[in-house]
Amino acid sequence: MSDVIEVKKRDETGTLRMRRLRSSGRVPAVVYGQGKDSVSVSIATRDVEKMIRSGRHIVELGGDVTEDALVKEVQWDAFGSHVLHLDFARIDAGQSVEVALTVELRGVAPGTRSGGVVKHMLHELIVKCPANKMPEQLEVNINELELDQVITAGEIALPDAAELLVDGSEIVVTCVTPSAETETDEDGGVSGMAEPEVIGRKADDDDGDDS
Amino acid sequence: MALMPKRVKHRKVQRGRIKGNATRGNKVVFGDYGLQSLEPGWLKAQTIEAGRIAATQYIRGEGKLYIRVFPHRSITSTPLETRMGKGKGEPEYWVATIRPGTILYELGGVSEQQAKICFARLAHKMPFKVRMVKRRAM
Repeated sequence: MSDVIEVKKRDETGTLRMRRLRSSGRVPAVVYGQGKDSVSVSIATRDVEKMIRSGRHIVELGGDVTEDALVKEVQWDAFGSHVLHLDFARIDAGQSVEVALTVELRGVAPGTRSGGVVKHMLHELIVKCPANKMPEQLEVNINELELDQVITAGEIALPDAAELLVDGSEIVVTCVTPSAETETDEDGGVSGMAEPEVIGRKADDDDGDDS
Repeated sequence: MALMPKRVKHRKVQRGRIKGNATRGNKVVFGDYGLQSLEPGWLKAQTIEAGRIAATQYIRGEGKLYIRVFPHRSITSTPLETRMGKGKGEPEYWVATIRPGTILYELGGVSEQQAKICFARLAHKMPFKVRMVKRRAM
């Protein structure tokens, strides 16, 4: 909670007006929660991009609305390149909130020198933590990850008073021997078969016509 | 070998239209980097396979390649020098319907530079414009 994000109250709503707002360099957002009325606001696009890059989940709003808020939801366009809308939930500094934190790997696994491949299985972990102690991401040191070893969710160091909301035995990262590429695919498809089976057609029926 | 469904409800389907952008399958979910389509089109099963071979030859077991699209749609054609009529042709090949924004392939366990080179090789096989995207934090 370092930088203050300047927000402006907005009275306009609707698709066309929001489209115009976005083209003028601002992103629509809403602030709600704690039994108070929801407030429609807008934020400068460059501030939103900065906030997204930093990966902060807890932000300090300034300007027309001065509150601490949790970034509850970010709406993206179909290409994932522009933010369309933001949801902020009001919070108190000491209040516990549930957030999906990104898991970042740090270091080089010694298992890769023995021919292994680092497999990052869980990219996000849901954590309940007081808002003032919320980290931006969870860092996992893989400098001691040997071949065929795993790091589970329970082994990841969390901040004080933080609680893990996923099963502690879930594998976050592992170092495995790469499997040889096979000709058949794992996605349930078949390869090399003449034609797929038609559901509901009898085996002796030639072309599936009712006649 | 090229992909195709195991079981289908109908052997032949109408051509249809590809309208709008992808609202599903447009996020990098399994790996760290993805190849995103920027145009609509049909992606043949053979092309998906050609892309897979191009990518696996480059990464050589270092990372993991995920194929995010599957050819569910059959495309029919009538043989050459056939007179008009006599009904719809026979299924010839299978395609995946791609809308702009769809993630086609994902890569995990490789550096950004390696992913960039790998996807550049893969992009040459694609019948439409594509770009590399990274996993989003939020």
